[in-house]
Amino acid sequence: MTFELSHVALLGISYLLLLFGIAWITERGWIPDSVTSHPITYILSLGIFASAWAFYGVIDLAFSYGYGALAYYLGTGALFLFAPVALAPLAELARRHQVHSLADLLVFRYHSHAVGALTTLCMLLGILPLMALQIQAIADTMHILTVSGNPSLPLQGTGLTFKDLMALCYCAILALFTILFGSNREQHRGLVTAMAFESLLKVCALCAVGLVAVYGIFDGLGGLDEWLADHPENIALLHTPIRDGSAHTLLLVFIATAVTMPHIFHLGLAENPLMRNSHTVTWAFPLFLLLMALPVFPILWAGFELAVPLPAQYFTLGVPILLNSPGLTVLAFLGGLSAATGAMIIITLALATMVMNHWLLPSFRLRARHDIYRQLLWLRRMLIAAIFLGGYLFYWILDNRYSLTNLALLAFIETLQFLPGTFAIMFWTKGNRRGMLAGLAAGTLIWAAGLLVPVLWRLETLTLPFIDVVIPVGIERWSDVTLLSLGVNTLTFIIISLVTRQTEDELYSADLCAADELSHPVRQALDVHSALEFKTRLAKPLGKVTASREVDIALAELNLSINERRPYALRRLRDQIEGNLSSLMGIHVASEIMDTHLPYQVAEARDTVDINLMESRLSEYRDHLTGMAAELNNLRLYHRKTLEELPMAVCSLGRDMEILMWNRAMAELTETPGEEVTGSRLDDIAEPWRSLLIEFSNSSEAHYYRREIELNGRPHWVSLHKAAIEGTINVGVYDQVILLEDVTETQLLEQELVHSERLASVGRLAAGVAHEIGNPITGIACLAQNLRYESENPDILETADQILSQTDRVSRIVQSLVGFSHTGHNKKSDFQAVILRDCANEAIQLLSLQKDKNQVLFINNIAPKAIVAGDTQRIIQVFINLLSNARDASPEQGQVILDSSEDEYSIIFSVTDEGPGIAPEHVEQIFEPFFTTKEPGEGTGLGLAMVYSIIDDHGGYLDITSPADTVHNRGARFTIKLPRHIDSVL
Amino acid sequence: MTNQRLVILLLLIAYIFSPTLFTWIINPEGAWYRPYIMWVLVIIIAFVIQLRKKPSISRRHLHD
Repeated sequence: MTFELSHVALLGISYLLLLFGIAWITERGWIPDSVTSHPITYILSLGIFASAWAFYGVIDLAFSYGYGALAYYLGTGALFLFAPVALAPLAELARRHQVHSLADLLVFRYHSHAVGALTTLCMLLGILPLMALQIQAIADTMHILTVSGNPSLPLQGTGLTFKDLMALCYCAILALFTILFGSNREQHRGLVTAMAFESLLKVCALCAVGLVAVYGIFDGLGGLDEWLADHPENIALLHTPIRDGSAHTLLLVFIATAVTMPHIFHLGLAENPLMRNSHTVTWAFPLFLLLMALPVFPILWAGFELAVPLPAQYFTLGVPILLNSPGLTVLAFLGGLSAATGAMIIITLALATMVMNHWLLPSFRLRARHDIYRQLLWLRRMLIAAIFLGGYLFYWILDNRYSLTNLALLAFIETLQFLPGTFAIMFWTKGNRRGMLAGLAAGTLIWAAGLLVPVLWRLETLTLPFIDVVIPVGIERWSDVTLLSLGVNTLTFIIISLVTRQTEDELYSADLCAADELSHPVRQALDVHSALEFKTRLAKPLGKVTASREVDIALAELNLSINERRPYALRRLRDQIEGNLSSLMGIHVASEIMDTHLPYQVAEARDTVDINLMESRLSEYRDHLTGMAAELNNLRLYHRKTLEELPMAVCSLGRDMEILMWNRAMAELTETPGEEVTGSRLDDIAEPWRSLLIEFSNSSEAHYYRREIELNGRPHWVSLHKAAIEGTINVGVYDQVILLEDVTETQLLEQELVHSERLASVGRLAAGVAHEIGNPITGIACLAQNLRYESENPDILETADQILSQTDRVSRIVQSLVGFSHTGHNKKSDFQAVILRDCANEAIQLLSLQKDKNQVLFINNIAPKAIVAGDTQRIIQVFINLLSNARDASPEQGQVILDSSEDEYSIIFSVTDEGPGIAPEHVEQIFEPFFTTKEPGEGTGLGLAMVYSIIDDHGGYLDITSPADTVHNRGARFTIKLPRHIDSVL
Repeated sequence: MTNQRLVILLLLIAYIFSPTLFTWIINPEGAWYRPYIMWVLVIIIAFVIQLRKKPSISRRHLHD
C-alpha cells in the first residue's frame, strides 16, 4: 500500500492548518470558554509530554526492555500523582516570580547569570537530539508511506535523500507556523487548546491501533492470551530485562522529565493554572499516560505476528499498513505527526525564550528604545527559526544511524543532569551556585564524552589523555554513562556547595524557594514615592513609551491608580512590574533593570516584616492552608477581627512610620477608611491627625492626655496611648501600637461641672453676705418700731410702718437667700394648705407699693379653690419674683395676667406678660443664679433661680413659653405646676 | 504534614508488602496487563482522594 507524495504532503499541511486554525479560533473566542478552560483541556495539553517517541519509539523500548519500558510513563506519572507535593510548590514559585523556564527558575534560585547561561547551553545540547528524533520520525514515516511499497527503511548514511528533503520542507512549514503564531506570548490560550487537540488525536490514534491489534489480529484478549501461551518467548521478553538492572536505570532516566524537559515545564508548570488550583491532575494525567501505555505491548506483539518488515519502533504504522487499512494507516500517521509537531512547537518556543533571556538579552542591549516589544518579537522569531534549523542539522548529521530510542536516551540523560540543582531548589537551601555550576558542568561533560561525541563522530572507544586508558563509550553504554554522570554531578554539587560560601542574596532566594510562601516577606524600603516616578525611572532602560505602558499594565493588574503613594502599594507595583518584565525579557534582565533603577534600600532590608503583604497573601492563599496552618490562620483572623472591631481607635505603625493597621473605630474617628491609609506613611494622612500622630509617635512619652484638636470647626479632645511591639525577626526593633481615645464628651461634662461648682460657691458666698446683712436690718427694724412710739405724726407713723414692712421684706429676702443656699432643707411635712389666689394678691399688694416702677395692671384670675401644699411665705416669694419680672418687662399700663387650672393631683398656674419675651438663647440660662438681662445694679440675677429652687423644693415643675402671644410675637408665660393640697380637696 | 503517623504507617505497609506485590505483578504466570491493573487502582485512589478533598476547602470558605 503506497500513498502519493502529494497526498502525504496534503495530509501534513492540512493537519498543520487544522492545528493552527484551532489555536486561531480559540484566540478569536469562537470556542466557548467552558471548553478552553476546562481541566481536561489543560490535562490533554500536558500530553505533549508524549512526543513522537512515545508514539513510535516506546514500542522499540518495550521490545528491548519489556516491562522496563513502562518506566517512561511511571516516572512522570508518579511525579504528577504526587503533584501537590512535588510539582505544586514549583508551579507556585513559577507563578509568583513569573518564571517561565527551568533556566529562569535556576537563575532565580542561585542568583547567578552564569547558571542561566550554562543551563541554556546544556538544555540546547540535550534537546537537539529530541528535536532530531521528532524530525527523524516524521521523515521515516513519510518515507514509509510514500516511497516504499513494501514498507522498509532506506539504507542509513546515504546522505541527503528525498525523505530528508521532505522532512526539511515539513520543518520549514512548521517553523513558519510557529513563528507566525507562537512567538507572541499573548496567544497562550490558543496554544494550549491546540496542544490539547494534538494530544487527543494521538491518544485516539494509538488506542485505535492498539484495539485493532487486539481485536483484529488476536481476536480479543482471550486470543491474545492464547497467542502468548503459544509464544512464551514474548512473555519472557517482558520479564527478563527487568532482572538485569538496566530497566531500573531507565526509571531513573525518566523520573525527572516532568520538571527538566523544557516543553513540559513550559506547559505544565509555568503556564498551567491547573497545577496550582486543582488536584484533578493527580489522577487525570496518570490516566492519560495509562491510555498511552496500554496499546504498547499489543502493538508490539501484533507486529511480531504480522512479521512487519520494519524496525519495532515503526510497528504503530506498520501494523495498519499490513492490515491493508488505509483509514487506520492515515490515522496512525497523523497521530505520529501530531505527537512530533506538538512537541517540536513547544520545545522550540521554550528554547527560544531561554536562549533569548539567558544568552542574548544579557549580553547586548536593545537598540532603539521606543519599540522594545517589536524587537523582542523579531528576536524570538529569528531564534525559533534558528532552533528548527539546529534540530534539522543535528538530524541530518546523525543521518538515521540511531534508533528513536537511542536519541531519546541521549536527550533524557542530559536533562537528567538538572535533577540535583532542581531538587535543591525546594529541599536543600545550602546548595549554592558554584556547586550547581560545577555539578552540571561535570555531569554534562561526562555525558558529552560518553554519549554525544561518540554519537556524532561514531566513536566506539575513548582514550583518556596522559594515562592511555581506553574506555568503551557510545550509546550502547548509556546505562553506565547515566549512573556515572549523575553520580559525579550530584557529588560535585554537594561537595562544592558544602565547601564554598553562599552570597547573602543567594541565601535569601534559597529561603524564598525552600519554605512556603509566607516565610520571609521582609518589608524593604523603596526610595520611590509615587507611581508616576516609576515611569520616569524606567524610561531610562526601557524607553518612555514602553516604561509608561508597562507601569500602566501593572497598575491595572493591581487595581491601583497612578496617584498611588502608599509604600506598600508601590512595593507591590515594583514586584508586579518586575514579574511582567521577566516574562518579557527573562528574570535576569528584569531583576537587573529593577535593581539598577528602582532599588530597594539595602540598609532597611530584613528589618521589618511586611505585615500588609503577609496579610494579603494569607487571604489570597487561605484555601491552600491545611492542618495547623489553617488553624493558625483562623486564630489570626479571630485576633485580627478582635482588633478590628475593638470599640477604641487603634492603629499600629512600623518603624518607618508606615501604617500597618487602622481599625474600624479609628476609621470612624478620623473619618478616613482603613483601606486608604493602610500601607501609607503617616505623612500622607489628613490633618490634624498627621501632626498629632507624628508628634506623639516621636515623643518619648507613653501617654498624651486630652490633646485639643479642631475637627469640622469644633474643638475635640483626644487622649493617646502607645506601646512598643517587638519585631518578629529582629530583637530590639520596635513597631508601635497607638490607641486613641475621644474624650470630648467627658471634657464637656467636666467643664459644666466646674461651672456649676463655681456657681455653688458664689451662692454660698452670697448666703454668707446675706447672713451678715441680717443683723443691721434687725437693728433698723427695731429703730423703726421705736419710732412708732416716739411720734404721733401720722406721716412719720406711716413712714415707720413702711420701714418696718420694707425691713421685713429685706429680712425675708435675706432668709430666702440663705434658704437658696440650703435648698432641700424644708421638710415636706411642714407644708400647709396655701391659697394661691391670696398669695398672688399679697404679692400684687407688695409690688404696688413700688411707685417708681412701671405701673401695670395685674389681673388675678387664679381660682380661689386652687390650694397647694407648701410654704406660704415662699410661694409669695415666687409670685413676687415672677410678677416683678413680668412688670419690669411689660410696657407702661400693660397687663400681667395670672391664671390657673387644675387636674386630679396638681394645680397649674401661669403668669403671662405683654413684654418682648425671652430670647431663645436665654431660655436655658435664666434659671441660673446671677444670670440677668437687666442693667447692672438693677437685678441680682437671683430671682428666677430662687423661683426654680422653691418650686423644685415643692416638688413642682416650671415651664416657660415665649413668645406667649404668637400673633403679636410678644410676651412670656411662666407656667408652674404644683401638687395640690390633698386635705383641702376632701 | 497533617498526619505524620499515617504516612509512617503507610510507608511501613508499603515496605512489607512491596516484594510480594512486585513478584505478583511480574509473575510470568499471570496476565500481561497486571501492571496496568495496579496503575488503574492507583488512579482510582488518587481520584477518591481528590473527591474527598473538595468539601473541606468549601467549608473553610464559609469560615472566613
